[in-house]
Amino acid sequence: MDKTYVLVPRKCIGCRTCELACSFVHSNDGKLGRSRIHVHPIAEGHFIQMNCLQCVEAACVKVCPTKALARSEDTGAVRLLEGRCIGCALCATACPFGHIHFDRPAGLPVKCDLCGGEPACAKFCPSKALEMR
Amino acid sequence: MTVTFTINGVQVEAEAGGSVLDTARRYGFEVPSLCHHEAVVPYGACRMCLTEITRGKRRKITTSCNYEVLPGIEVRTDTPEVRRHQSMVLELILAKAPENKALRDLAARYGLRVPRFARVARQKIKDCILCGLCARVCSESIGAHALTFTGRGDLRDVGVPFQGEPRTCIGCGSCASVCPTSCIVMEDTRTTRKIWDRTFRFVACDVCGGPVMTEEHKEHAIKTAGLPAEYYKTCPTCRQNGLAGHFARVGS
Repeated sequence: MDKTYVLVPRKCIGCRTCELACSFVHSNDGKLGRSRIHVHPIAEGHFIQMNCLQCVEAACVKVCPTKALARSEDTGAVRLLEGRCIGCALCATACPFGHIHFDRPAGLPVKCDLCGGEPACAKFCPSKALEMR
Repeated sequence: MTVTFTINGVQVEAEAGGSVLDTARRYGFEVPSLCHHEAVVPYGACRMCLTEITRGKRRKITTSCNYEVLPGIEVRTDTPEVRRHQSMVLELILAKAPENKALRDLAARYGLRVPRFARVARQKIKDCILCGLCARVCSESIGAHALTFTGRGDLRDVGVPFQGEPRTCIGCGSCASVCPTSCIVMEDTRTTRKIWDRTFRFVACDVCGGPVMTEEHKEHAIKTAGLPAEYYKTCPTCRQNGLAGHFARVGS
């Protein structure tokens, strides 16, 4: 946990490469809806990336009835233990920032896990608006 | 306390109290199962997780999901005998749901194509294999106790206690998510969710009017999770959009 995931909206050019990278890494089909990260246009030529903040006191962890969301010790990220998840979708509704989406066909929440410490979105970001540093 | 034993000749370690199935999977050994879920207490209903376990001089074929790890036991997950037993169990399960895709995919791995037994399903829900996972998740994890086994013998079924509408169901959809044969039908529209013959109304998002969660699920969440009611007024998408808009205003 010597590196921090940093988002710099000022550098974001709105290319959505991060969304593509994320959905390919996590679902193999490249559907942007399956992406954990989302780029929002906020003004002409300005964008902001929205992704899980890995809250210290996370609402998703608090509400999960089966402890399927747990903090990973090596990355500090709250990640989903798929085997424990029962698909009640409570985490998605509890997140105060709306960063968890529920994938109904799969019956699982879509939640950033920092790719185990090397996020694909940061690796592919051409303008270094997403970085591990 | 850790327990050391072997799986397919490989020495493995597990916490005392854990199951052979979970340990085997953690070490990458493939053991099939249908009724097992880490979130609930093992039940041993489907019998697909059969393994050969030798303890001292005794050797037996037994379910690994509810077999607690013991020091020195020898587990084998891939012997021809184990596969033969699993194949037989699967053939019997297939008689309940011969057309189910998940079961057919599993059967293909055992070289089973044409079901040997005539269809015997008397369950109300097509393709239900009576593993009871939906009922266990509903009671143990959610705490709603809306589903149960009903009837006996060949009339055994999974459903609502005393028939009718599930009065304590909160419409969370967990049963449909965990069902190994995906046989629980949940129909969502923009405003309603229909499951177990009961129609639930969705809480409408304050911004877009789309579905957030069922009203009963919201009440349940407020009671059990201890989060304030304001948490459940908007859908995740609108909440994220709102936050982006907030940052835009702060930034400009």
